[in-house]
Amino acid sequence: MESSDAALVSRVLHGEVNAYGALVSRYRDKYARYAVHMLGNREDAEEALQDAFTRAYRSLARCEDPERFGAWLFRILVNRCRTSGARRVRRGQTFVHDETALLNASQEHPAEQTMWREEIERALGELSADQREAFLLKYVEELGYDEMAEITGVGVSALKMRVMRACDRLRVLLKEVHSA
Amino acid sequence: MPEFGRNTLELIVQELQRPVRVDESFDRRVMVRVRRMHAERRSHFAADWLGTAVNLTRRPAYAAALAAGVVAVVTVGMLRSRPETVASAGPIPVQFVLVAPEARSVAVVGDFNNWGLGDTALVAENHNGVWSVSAPVPAGVHRYAFLVNGKQWVADPTAPRAASDDFGQPSSALVVEGSLE
Repeated sequence: MESSDAALVSRVLHGEVNAYGALVSRYRDKYARYAVHMLGNREDAEEALQDAFTRAYRSLARCEDPERFGAWLFRILVNRCRTSGARRVRRGQTFVHDETALLNASQEHPAEQTMWREEIERALGELSADQREAFLLKYVEELGYDEMAEITGVGVSALKMRVMRACDRLRVLLKEVHSA
Repeated sequence: MPEFGRNTLELIVQELQRPVRVDESFDRRVMVRVRRMHAERRSHFAADWLGTAVNLTRRPAYAAALAAGVVAVVTVGMLRSRPETVASAGPIPVQFVLVAPEARSVAVVGDFNNWGLGDTALVAENHNGVWSVSAPVPAGVHRYAFLVNGKQWVADPTAPRAASDDFGQPSSALVVEGSLE
């Protein structure tokens, strides 16, 4: 039977460091998706994710509700992605789509599907970081607005506005591609 | 490419919700860093505690002054804590005090003891509701908090609040200056 998050956290806090590996495996892929879409490339995404896991380990005793370790870790990751995104802007790097993911996708899906995915990634990159974050949290990660507010520290009204604008912008961007 | 006019949003989300897989070597890379942190923490913590024992036994005047401070806190009956520093070589002993008469346990956790990970929390002693513990803290700026009853996160009410960080609980700022000796 699979151990609960709380049980694994407890084991780690009592010095069983290897139990942390089970938490890494449990959340690695799930949260990689958010990081890849948010940062637009696999290298930055893996770096942010690795950073989130190590920061979470270092501060594990501060996880108030170990049963919700995943939600706590996700909050750290969202902040790591913000930092990474801001750093990238300072470096002047443009948003690039995830070549590796596209390569993988092309092996699983028809070429048309791959094109569609590529256009979505490109359109996501056209959104502001705030809009992209709100859109991904709401629709891809399927969080409620209250959860989003807790994670981002942004008010619910502002989040709703960001999501609405992100949706409008995506529709326009993808329609332009489709009509071209 | 899907037709527009259908539910575009649904199609976008469907595509973005496809799983993203990370190579298993990722786990190994994370765990190498985690194990290194674990080993460093345990060795530093053991060394720091040996240093504290020596420092405190050499300073009876400091202990007496500290006891007087505790009495004063009890008398006014306020929720109060105060990290105080004394001169020392190496890490500086800091006294953490929290008045919490209802508490069943109080520990101090901070970046100087890796937030209590692996049983490194500093367990405070109870003196009629005044909880105190001493710990060697390296020079620098630190974050810390009190962990009450093993789960309630309490910032030090008499210290500056630390700037918000990723973890969602309040913490206090502590500045430890370098050795005075």
